[in-house]
Amino acid sequence: MRSWMELKELLKKVVLLGDGAVGKTSLTARYVVNKFDDKYIATIGTKVSKKDMQLTKPNLIINLRMMIWDILGQKEYSKIRTASLSGAQGVILVGDLTRPETVKSLEAFWIPEIEAAVGKVPTVLVGNKCDLADKGSMAITVLESIGQNLEYPTFLASAKTGENVENAFATLGEMLVAEVVASRPKGAEELPQTLSEAVDFIIQDFCAQYGDLEKAMLIVQHQFEEAGVDIRKPSKDAVLQALEGLAKAEELSLTKTVAAVNLEERQRMVILAKG
Amino acid sequence: MQRDVKIETLIVMSMCVFVALAVTAFVVPFEDDNTRIFFVALAAVLVSINVAGFFMVWKASPTIIDEIFLMTPDGRLLKHYTRRLKPDQDDDILAGMLTAVQNFIKESFEEAGGRLKEIRFENYDIFISHSKSIVIAAIISTKKPEKLRIQMRLVTEDIEKHFGHKLTNWGGDKSDLVGVDIIMKKLLAGKYR
Repeated sequence: MRSWMELKELLKKVVLLGDGAVGKTSLTARYVVNKFDDKYIATIGTKVSKKDMQLTKPNLIINLRMMIWDILGQKEYSKIRTASLSGAQGVILVGDLTRPETVKSLEAFWIPEIEAAVGKVPTVLVGNKCDLADKGSMAITVLESIGQNLEYPTFLASAKTGENVENAFATLGEMLVAEVVASRPKGAEELPQTLSEAVDFIIQDFCAQYGDLEKAMLIVQHQFEEAGVDIRKPSKDAVLQALEGLAKAEELSLTKTVAAVNLEERQRMVILAKG
Repeated sequence: MQRDVKIETLIVMSMCVFVALAVTAFVVPFEDDNTRIFFVALAAVLVSINVAGFFMVWKASPTIIDEIFLMTPDGRLLKHYTRRLKPDQDDDILAGMLTAVQNFIKESFEEAGGRLKEIRFENYDIFISHSKSIVIAAIISTKKPEKLRIQMRLVTEDIEKHFGHKLTNWGGDKSDLVGVDIIMKKLLAGKYR
């Protein structure tokens, strides 16, 4: 039994929370796509940026897009904050390790606030400015204790040096896709046996990955015509030729890597098919 | 642009016909009044036909949508369509910020209730249509938005009907949206129902 590489595109909303001036904006600055000035956080209470990552799992490639909402840290603006928290599927909670009160307020204020707004969602704790904090400081002890109690991954990071910032995002990314990975069937999908079944499977798979069903069907139709595939009685040579064309289309719509993986799997499926 | 030329052509035609017949009716010294009345009546009929044609062309022409965003109410971009390439624009971030601005306005005018439905900036109008699970924002630079408002409401209702159950507590899997393109492209072409 052979396995099939599936591609999933996931779009998740992540919020970045913590007291004012703990370094939330600085933490993201280097690692995300920014298009708007930071002044928007002060003017409308929020700034949105994004981070793309690719996670590879058995038989599964996940293109994860995290839309990161950097929300004003002043506790008084609760209405704007609640509106911005709506729909959040992940949270990065940030405290300043040089100011222990900002770490304590994660447990005392921010975590109850999040749970009231969106319930329990994947969360990571980040203690920022670790380059300035003493190793045995109270802030670190408190942060790690909160993390242990709530079973949240905890990172001592520095926006200045970049230490652990990428790790914090990557860990949250893994947590966000965990449900998708867990919900997949454990065994590899069984592949079609005959060439006609294989062609049908490939068409469906191409359309699903392409996204735009109408356009995908036009591409399939064009490539099959070019390669001379008779859909009622396909020949292996013609189908293999059509697969090359489909792969070229996928290079433009997906990525070269994914297109190459798909091509290889589809070629193998066609070659091994009966008929 | 093509629509504007057609309308202008009709206006010019109307004026030319009216002027030619008016000149014929009032300047040419007809011997009897019946002939004069005939030309005046003919001028009136032809001008009426042109005015009716102008109105029909105007009514039938779609409002041209420059850009359209299909989003979740929490600001995640589901689909984006545009007539212009904007390499510097990040559509996902723009959709998020558009939602953030809506949240800000909604909270700032809390006592008024409701939602933001329209934004005007220079030559651009942004029309926003809401339902429980989706938000559609259309940017137009032409006038005549009434038909667009109706179409946007219909599209919003239809997407809610077909995809609402998937988008309530949506996990972010874009493959849940297969088929939404067909609806959105009809809206973009101004041919929705």
